[in-house]
Amino acid sequence: MNKELKLSDLHQGDSLSSVVKHVTQENINLYAEASGDFNPIHIDESFAAQTPLGGTIAHGMLILAYVSEMMTEAFGNSWQAGGKLSVRFKAPARPEDIITVTGKIDSIEQKEDTPYVNCDLETRNQHGEIIVTGKATVKLCS
Amino acid sequence: MPIKIEQLVVGYEFPPNGYKLEPSVIAKYLEAVSRTSGQDSPVPEFVPPMAIAAYTMLVMSRALSLPPGSIHASQELEFFKLVPVGTTINCRGRVAQKLNRGKLNLLVIELDALNHEQEKVLSGQATIVVPS
Repeated sequence: MNKELKLSDLHQGDSLSSVVKHVTQENINLYAEASGDFNPIHIDESFAAQTPLGGTIAHGMLILAYVSEMMTEAFGNSWQAGGKLSVRFKAPARPEDIITVTGKIDSIEQKEDTPYVNCDLETRNQHGEIIVTGKATVKLCS
Repeated sequence: MPIKIEQLVVGYEFPPNGYKLEPSVIAKYLEAVSRTSGQDSPVPEFVPPMAIAAYTMLVMSRALSLPPGSIHASQELEFFKLVPVGTTINCRGRVAQKLNRGKLNLLVIELDALNHEQEKVLSGQATIVVPS
């Protein structure tokens, strides 16, 4: 397990430890069961094949779970109790994709004696296509 | 009875509802997000914040009849407090925007989750593209 980062560890431009996941239809089906989101675009291959997407895709929230995993590994409770993210889903993640989640510290600022770490986020598949892009901010716990 | 998208208006507030984040629910969530590559792992003390988001959206989606093929376009989330496993969250949602773009509708839903002390633990905004 990665050590949670402290303020003294953090510098503008630093990269967070990335997270790599193999998305499978099994994972997608499990996520549908866990989340209650049974939109057929995720789990019905016959339905999905007839849409412009051409096949099933992973839930956006499943991919965000991977993003949150990266942020939790880096920042621990500071992320879970003081995190903020804003992302756009640029392309779908499909079964058998290998997803790499990366983050980079854009800036560190102080607001009322509390440090905030602003990060750029990106998720790409094995072809280098951007799946998710966005920003996250972490209010560091003292 | 879930409300249909054509019935939605800006400002519509979904009926508030609760969801208990029991250990079995969180274990199922963790298995789905492959936190430990399929291996069993103990349920953590606190609920992963994205699980809170997922179940808040579940409560909302039960009140809204989205047509098949609806796509999640963007998401904003903010986490305010650690939530112990076993907590019941109270979920609220409202329609912030509803736009028609030809064959597609754009729906923006604002969400909040509160703990039993009515403290906000999560807020968010989801943009969903809905086929007409």
